[in-house]
Amino acid sequence: MSSPSAALRFQDLSWRRRCGCKGPAAEAFLASQGYRVPAEPNSAALDAGGVLVARLASSEFLIEAVAGPTPRLAALRSQLHERRTPSGVYPVARQDLVLELGGEGLNVLLRQTCSVDFAPLFEQAQSDGGPIVLTSMIGVGVVAWPRRVADGPAVTLWSDPSFAHYFYNTLLEVGRDQGGVTINRAERASATGSDT
Amino acid sequence: MSRLPQMHGELIDRQRTVEFSFEGRRCQGFHGDTISSALAANGVQIFGRSFKYHRPRGLLSAANHDVNALVQVRTAGRSVPNVRADVVPVEPGWDICAVNTRGGLASDRLAVLNRLAPVLPVGFYYKAFHSKRWFPRWERMFRHLSGLGCVDLAAPRRTTAKRYDFCDVLVIGAGPSGLAAAVAAAEEGAAVVLIDENLAVGGSGLYARGGDDHGAALVRALSARAGAHPRIRILTYTYAAGYYADHWVALVMRDCMVKMRARSLIVAQGAYEQPAVFRGNDLPGVLLASAAQRLLYRHAVLTARRVAVLTANSEGYAAALDALAHGVELAAVLDLRPTPTARSRAAADELARRGVRLHFGVQPIEASAQSSGRLACFEYSSAGTPRARHRLDVDGLWMSVGFAPANALLHQANARLSYQLALEQFVPAWLPEGVYACGKVNGVYELSQRIDDGRDAGACAAWQLRSGAARARQSAPASEECPTHPYPIFAHPKGKEFVDFDEDLQIRDIENACQEGFDSSELLKRFSTIGMGPSQGKHSQMNALRILSKLRGEPIEQLGTTTARPMFHPVPLSHLAGRGFTPERRTPLDAEHGSLGAVWMPAGNWRRPEYYAVAGQSREQAIAAEVAAVRTRVGLIDVGTLGKIEIHGPHAAEFLERVYTGRFANLKIGMTRYALMLDEAGVVIDDGVVGRLAAESFYFTTTTGNSATLFREFGRLATWWRLSVGLVSLTGHYAAFNLAGPAARAVLRAHTALDLSEAAFPYLALREGLIAGAPCRMLRVGFVGELGYEIHLEAEHALGVWRALLAAGKAFDIRPFGVEAQRMLRLEKGHLIVGQDTDGLTNALEIGAPWALKMDKAFFIGQRSLRILERQPRRQQLVGFRLGAQATARPKECHLILDHGQIAGRVTSVGFSPTLGCCIGLALVSPKLAAGAQLRIRIDEGKQIDAEITRTPFYDASGERQRLAQSA
Repeated sequence: MSSPSAALRFQDLSWRRRCGCKGPAAEAFLASQGYRVPAEPNSAALDAGGVLVARLASSEFLIEAVAGPTPRLAALRSQLHERRTPSGVYPVARQDLVLELGGEGLNVLLRQTCSVDFAPLFEQAQSDGGPIVLTSMIGVGVVAWPRRVADGPAVTLWSDPSFAHYFYNTLLEVGRDQGGVTINRAERASATGSDT
Repeated sequence: MSRLPQMHGELIDRQRTVEFSFEGRRCQGFHGDTISSALAANGVQIFGRSFKYHRPRGLLSAANHDVNALVQVRTAGRSVPNVRADVVPVEPGWDICAVNTRGGLASDRLAVLNRLAPVLPVGFYYKAFHSKRWFPRWERMFRHLSGLGCVDLAAPRRTTAKRYDFCDVLVIGAGPSGLAAAVAAAEEGAAVVLIDENLAVGGSGLYARGGDDHGAALVRALSARAGAHPRIRILTYTYAAGYYADHWVALVMRDCMVKMRARSLIVAQGAYEQPAVFRGNDLPGVLLASAAQRLLYRHAVLTARRVAVLTANSEGYAAALDALAHGVELAAVLDLRPTPTARSRAAADELARRGVRLHFGVQPIEASAQSSGRLACFEYSSAGTPRARHRLDVDGLWMSVGFAPANALLHQANARLSYQLALEQFVPAWLPEGVYACGKVNGVYELSQRIDDGRDAGACAAWQLRSGAARARQSAPASEECPTHPYPIFAHPKGKEFVDFDEDLQIRDIENACQEGFDSSELLKRFSTIGMGPSQGKHSQMNALRILSKLRGEPIEQLGTTTARPMFHPVPLSHLAGRGFTPERRTPLDAEHGSLGAVWMPAGNWRRPEYYAVAGQSREQAIAAEVAAVRTRVGLIDVGTLGKIEIHGPHAAEFLERVYTGRFANLKIGMTRYALMLDEAGVVIDDGVVGRLAAESFYFTTTTGNSATLFREFGRLATWWRLSVGLVSLTGHYAAFNLAGPAARAVLRAHTALDLSEAAFPYLALREGLIAGAPCRMLRVGFVGELGYEIHLEAEHALGVWRALLAAGKAFDIRPFGVEAQRMLRLEKGHLIVGQDTDGLTNALEIGAPWALKMDKAFFIGQRSLRILERQPRRQQLVGFRLGAQATARPKECHLILDHGQIAGRVTSVGFSPTLGCCIGLALVSPKLAAGAQLRIRIDEGKQIDAEITRTPFYDASGERQRLAQSA
């Protein structure tokens, strides 16, 4: 499964808590809740509390606790779930498969699976946000957050959970052909259904 | 061996020999040899047989353009057809043979076809295939005779990686102009990718030397600069197979295809040297001068001992000097022109000084072969003695009479090209933004001018990327001579002057095609197949145009050229196929279904349980038991593949009113309604259920196969109509299952505190509440015709609730059921499935559901068409039918309905109903048949059976069971 010299690292982060909303009043609503809302379409902002707000296109938002659960996010989730939101704010269910891919071989993997050039995005990436890419990888729509971490480039991918088995295993197959993948098993969540 | 002593710049490594075999003969080459160069070095003269007449053929271009340099390569466990010998490096142990021969290359039995040429005129395929009676015989014969290499059907599947790549400037062609362009663009700050189809960069700058190393030294210096530049990536043995919009270029490499996205593109692919057309121009030993030079300087291989150079430009004189420089006996230089131009003069004087005979105004007559098939002599007349027939005994004839620009990619990029008489070639007249051309393809032939032209193109491309503004290109310098003869075509009464070497087309074939009326470039191509072989007209298109131009008396520019479509060279199918990605969706209960014995089937791009296998039961028995469970007790099916969408906003109801045929503005909160969707022509395209969550919020479903497409379409419609709505797709994020059967209420009650009484939760109601502690949305719908609850919930809760319901259902002998049981259950109820019981032409008036069409609404998609269709006679009608209980022969879906022997419809759904004990089905039939009582169905093996037309539903016509007020 893993190779000691693998140039790729896979981590399933589907277990993270997240929610979503959209609508003409969504931006103001999130700001009123104390979230750091990115001003630009297709960009992300990570606040000091470890909550990422990704702006997808112009008026849809993905909110995820990247540093562990927070009461603030739990409150927002229940508010959205119970539709206790102002007019113009619509809840968006987010049961995504979330994968973080990293390592020196990442760009090679991305170039086999996606038509977007991530290389310059890794250069522009910021630790507290940066650009978000809405694109398709191996036939599956994804939200991608590219950035640079300690061991090189990394990208977090959110995708429809019904594609989880195909998406995860296909990326794994490509990664293995590329020379090996290290998988963080401990945090491998159930989103992909199986671990082949 | 014809190998020369080591020379500067050769690509071979003489320390590493390569042993291989060709047609059973042991051969030896060096690492760095192509198959062609290694064969030539071993004295092989005949490489293959021609496609149609099976004439012996040798090297022509040594540049990847020869059909006769395609070979079959057998290695351990593999046999690869159509390997391009001109460019593929030979490897140790390869067993190589010619393609499409019977009995081997030397004694090909099909060579008899050469004698049948007079009865195989142009267009004979069309004429031969004209008769239906003879078609099968012709087809068998041609399939046997034609073709190239043999496909190895046992070859293992290769998952060839395909990848994307990106650059600022892509330079295609690493000859002198391409190298200069790459260096210039990189020096201006651009990230450059420079590709070349050869094993090394340099192009003709390194092999067309004219016996002098000065030019090659310049190109070597340029190559070194490009190789050392940090912003230039060089990809050799890579060719650009096609240009696509937005500067996407398909690059074919040895092991994979790369989709290169360039911000700017420089085409520096040079020009293809063109053959002269005369009798015997295809004999082995007659080759392009550039081919001889390539082999000479790249691989140190001599192709002949005594040669004549047939020329019409200074490049031919340069080739003659190269021959002399390497000890080749030069029998004569034969110039088609009356006198040499100023550019050729110095070389002509030098050749004369060295004792070489020069003839001008030469008219080729014919080349003749030895018994081996190899060139023996060349006969011609010349200006001084037009009636005399001169003969040269030579084993090599090098042709250098002109060029055709390699402008296929420019054509694909929608460049406009104009024909310049001064050059006798097409050159770019207008190029799209971000596309540049330089070097020979731009009409520039002199070495220093090509380098200048490339430098200018590279600088302009980089400038535009940096500044965003286009900079005018410097004008191409006027040429000192026309590099291409205007008509290097010399007919012979006995023919065999080949215009197209791929398809064995002669001058008279072009003439005959024109005479038959196929006298435009496009028609000529299609009728004669000129340019349709593996070289795609690289050697034949311009000569064919010249002949056509002469026959029609019109200039070439007015004739135009055919479109050069991708792929530029033949591409291995494994490269095109790539790894192959087939997205498959699974519901959150997928693993659970597996443990319950699911037998899978595809549904759209999902996989779903067709049924659940039970030990000791056949497929049919298992399905029948699942149907029985729903009808008599309770069953549970995963319907999570349904499209699941929420719509919110002040115009949500208005949106649904427009999209669907029904009325939704008046739908009460907490209720659902059937929804039917049409296209603009009134054709049924989808259906589902709409439920109202709140005044401005609805939840609705679509069919499984249409969910993604419709969600995109809804977004488009909302934008187009400028409605204030927010659409949310929950399809993958929500699970859904249908709990159905008389005991459904009792099972559900075990896990919810919700009031499930008929008064509180009536038929078609929607409620939200907890089931087994998970928040759920419940729709009381009756697709399968029993008391049923469709339960929708977030995916993360699906497994817990599913298991809780199965546990509670144990007391009622609950059974999970699959798609096949569901299909039968709904068929018993007469419910149609869009896409199965309808097709791409079935309109809403034909499906027997007038109640679903609210024609009095202001608008819905398809309404206008339905109003027109209402006034017209129906084309077809959906009806139900049944067979007698004793009937043993049963129809299948798509079996035809006959009316007095004529097709009058088809079966859309059919199956044996375990509930009713007979075969039932739906069929789309003519209105005349629909009004009758019986259908005649043509089943397998041409048998015909009768079925009784029956009103639907077949089961529980009053609908009492799904409205069950009281149940267990």
